Amino acid sequence: MIKNYLKIAFKVLLRRKFFTFISLFGISFTLVVLMVVAALFDHVFAPFPPETKLDRTLNIYWAATSHKGEFHSLTIPGYALLDRYARGLPHVEKFAIHSIPTSAISYKDGAQISSYLKTTAGDFWDIFNFNFLEGGPYSIDDVTRGNFVAVINDATRNKFFGNESALGKAIIVDDQRFRVVGVVENVPIFRVTPFADIWVPITTSKTDNYRKEMLGIQMGTLLVRSRADFPAIKEEYRSRLSRVKLEERGEDDTVTGCPETLFETFSRFLGGSIQNSVLKPPSGRLWAVMLTLMILFMVLPTINLVNINISRIRERASEIGVRKAFGATSRTLVGQFVTENVVLTLLGGLVGIVLSPVVLQLLTGSGLIKYAHFQMNYRIFFTGLLIAFFFGVFSGVYPAWKMSRLHPVEALRGRSL
Amino acid sequence: MIRLQNVEKVYRTEKIETLALNNINLEIQEGEFVSVMGPSGCGKSTLLNVMGLLDVPTQGTVQLNGSPIVARSDKALARIRNQEVGFIFQTFHLISDLTVVDNVEIPLLYRRMAGSKRRQLALKALDRVGLASRVHHFPSQLSGGQQQRVAIARAIVGQPRILLADEPTGNLDSQMGDEVMEILMGLNRDEKTTIVMVTHDPRLAGMTRRIVRLFDGRQVN
Amino acid sequence: MIKHLLKMVWNRKRANILIIVEIFFSFLVLATVLITTVHYWQNYYRPLGYSIQGVWRIEMSLKSLLTSLKAGSDDSKQETEKARQLYLALQKLTEIEAFAGSSDAPYDPSVQTSSYSYRGSKLEIQTEYGCTAGFKDVLGLQLVAGRWFEPNDAALSWDPVVINQKMKEEVFGSEDPLGKNIAPEKAERERRVVGVISEYRKHGEFVSPYAFAFQRSGWSGMEGQLSGPPHYILVKVRPGTPASFEEKLMTQIQRVNKNWSFTLTPLSESRQNWLTFCLVPIVAGGIVAAFLLIMVGLGLVGVLWQNVTQRTREIGLRRSVGGTRGDIHRQVLGELVVIASVGLLLGVALAVQVPMLHLIDFISARVFSFGIVSSVGLIYVLTVLCGLYPSWMAARVEPAQALHYE
Repeated sequence: MIKNYLKIAFKVLLRRKFFTFISLFGISFTLVVLMVVAALFDHVFAPFPPETKLDRTLNIYWAATSHKGEFHSLTIPGYALLDRYARGLPHVEKFAIHSIPTSAISYKDGAQISSYLKTTAGDFWDIFNFNFLEGGPYSIDDVTRGNFVAVINDATRNKFFGNESALGKAIIVDDQRFRVVGVVENVPIFRVTPFADIWVPITTSKTDNYRKEMLGIQMGTLLVRSRADFPAIKEEYRSRLSRVKLEERGEDDTVTGCPETLFETFSRFLGGSIQNSVLKPPSGRLWAVMLTLMILFMVLPTINLVNINISRIRERASEIGVRKAFGATSRTLVGQFVTENVVLTLLGGLVGIVLSPVVLQLLTGSGLIKYAHFQMNYRIFFTGLLIAFFFGVFSGVYPAWKMSRLHPVEALRGRSL
Repeated sequence: MIRLQNVEKVYRTEKIETLALNNINLEIQEGEFVSVMGPSGCGKSTLLNVMGLLDVPTQGTVQLNGSPIVARSDKALARIRNQEVGFIFQTFHLISDLTVVDNVEIPLLYRRMAGSKRRQLALKALDRVGLASRVHHFPSQLSGGQQQRVAIARAIVGQPRILLADEPTGNLDSQMGDEVMEILMGLNRDEKTTIVMVTHDPRLAGMTRRIVRLFDGRQVN
Repeated sequence: MIKHLLKMVWNRKRANILIIVEIFFSFLVLATVLITTVHYWQNYYRPLGYSIQGVWRIEMSLKSLLTSLKAGSDDSKQETEKARQLYLALQKLTEIEAFAGSSDAPYDPSVQTSSYSYRGSKLEIQTEYGCTAGFKDVLGLQLVAGRWFEPNDAALSWDPVVINQKMKEEVFGSEDPLGKNIAPEKAERERRVVGVISEYRKHGEFVSPYAFAFQRSGWSGMEGQLSGPPHYILVKVRPGTPASFEEKLMTQIQRVNKNWSFTLTPLSESRQNWLTFCLVPIVAGGIVAAFLLIMVGLGLVGVLWQNVTQRTREIGLRRSVGGTRGDIHRQVLGELVVIASVGLLLGVALAVQVPMLHLIDFISARVFSFGIVSSVGLIYVLTVLCGLYPSWMAARVEPAQALHYE
């Protein structure tokens, strides 16, 4: 039966080339846009190196301070806060404290090289799986001893050493001399947590004032045993902080915060009350907004397709009449028409899947986003295919239903629907 | 009223040439009721279309009201059709998306007539065919006979002097057919409307004053 | 005739509803893109309030100064002294027309706000909260009333504030703002308005004018409430200064303290980056919208074409009762225009809610009405264009053949 459906579908599509063309145009265009968006989404949220364990990673980016119980400001935690209260939380396998990237200056042949420098402590290199092009990470031992060792990214290696190997060579960053022990692939700037150009042990900082800072420029990353433990960890961290006084600011100042997933962090950009969002990021709202936008975008293509489909059925009223007169049930006709439409959308999907990488290549080439490398992968591919499939079923069902209600005699007379 | 001289109509497709009308000479007087008979495909409908200026003969001349109609513009032909001729078809050809009264108004629409005036004439025409109670129905809600009466109302609403009916009873049972026939005869009798009717039915043809027989595009008498 | 068209459209409403919905959404898409574009375009030609001609931005990383200040260590005096020497070093360079320290610079994406209060109403206003006396000359700000900051403002027992004209209008209306205190309620020091400048749109050409305030800072930044050294140095070089001056400038300032680092960016470069960043979404949106409209247009042609084939008999009938080719032409296009009008009416009804309910306040009602009117026009043009071929096809229908079409 299906084989028969498919045969008819192809014949019909070939017979009305103009209709087939406009349907394909609409479908493939819609899919290209959706797949490019999916690729951007993937670029920010999907697990790929160095963030391969995103599903069980929590980060602490924020510290919300209050004065006499009233919200005061949203700032960034310091080493002391994270070291004392975020370390040793239950169900946590690995823990790292690392700074937000700060700009650092080097010179090469008199020209300035500006890079982003991240200082790390703890299990940073175990939590993140960087792709090492040469060498490897520095050890916890290096961090404890304050060894001047550095991991740099590919772009930085090119700036300092051209195409040569950088292993064992020295770089001078902010007047400090580091020995390069590893080179990693560039990390896109949207990967806010691990992103930097140069990674060095926190103990190489010029002073050890950071050890005393409750508020500063550090973030904490926790690798948790399983997702199910997230609520317990959030609760424990909050309750630990509830006893903390910010002495450097005075008796009345308290601080709070919440370990959160990457997605929750982005949902904060939606706005809303800052102090509420610290404890409860509006991640549900981010999903809602993204879904709404997607649906809004898809409304026009869908209506367009439904419209074209209805037109196509009308034209075939007499065909439907004949089929019914010779014994086709409404169900077989619905089946036939939906199959036809799914074939059409999957064809459109194929065109879309071929075109999307081209668009992504253009986006990557434009250099709009630092170190971004957009590419197709199986996730995006299957998302696209899935969308195409639903698109086809959805836009085919209504016209097919309309058609199945057509009375055979009326249809034979060529009456309009 | 209608005069056809040496009318010939040839349909050409890529491979075949069909002679639908072959040297037809026919004169129909004002107030006549003429039936055209003949087997299927003998050119009856083509003859009617040529008379009604829907089709242009390949050769020969058509005169309506004494003026020859040759190589007139589309616009002028449309005007003559609109003013002088009313059509009735075997399959009614009502517009399914319009109500009965709106269907009847259509010829007047192309006369740029005021809406109220149109409505008034349409209602009058519907009354004439005995459908005053169905004016706001859609064609699909009517029986075949009623639909054909609507079509007649549409044909006469502009008070044309010629009615061309192409098997007006062909899709109707005999009782409905008789009703329709009665209306046509009444129009011919009371309003002196010239009627040319194509039919298969010898009984109906017998009710008219003159019968024209066609065979293979030729007039046989 | 119009009534007849309306009737045709109404009686075929089931078939037409989808086209109407399609027109409705197309209108919304087009109006959104047009309104945004016009809004940007109009803003582009408004005065910026400053000129970046020959202005360089030097980002400073003064880690050792900051740590010494924080720790209150003995180094701090020495470090502060070096900050003063940096000032003197810049002063000596004759190629520099004006320079200033600042916490922020034009075309930076960042948003800094500060709290104010006037007559009991709390205000949160974008503020440059650490600029020195030279700031006005570097950027060529235009004073409308009062004065700019002066070096001896440091001695005052209150903090001077300069505001822009927009803030004056929003906060003070027709009152004279000069000398008024706008400090937040529990503040220890007063904040008095000392001057009004014409305009300052920090985020560049595309944003609408907004209220903006300036607070001053001393160079080394130690005095008063405004602590911390400037984040940026802004330098305006004299016209005709050779490009090699950049290197000379950098060596001069680097010589003051080796522990500090400096990064130089011409403001024209920041401008380019920021404008690109602003333009990308609208260009992307425009491309997507254009494709959507092409798609809708093609779809419409298909649907109308189908309609015409579907209605061949009707058209034949109309021709047989005296409709001319022109009549049929007008009929098909007329129906289309009526359908489009219904969709557009719904769309306009929705779109005018935005300015009427002040949902998006930063776009003016005039831009909205322009966007809406031109979208309506463009959608009409699009639909009529799409209808031309099908209606031509319809007009070509031969009545005799159409009536035998079974």
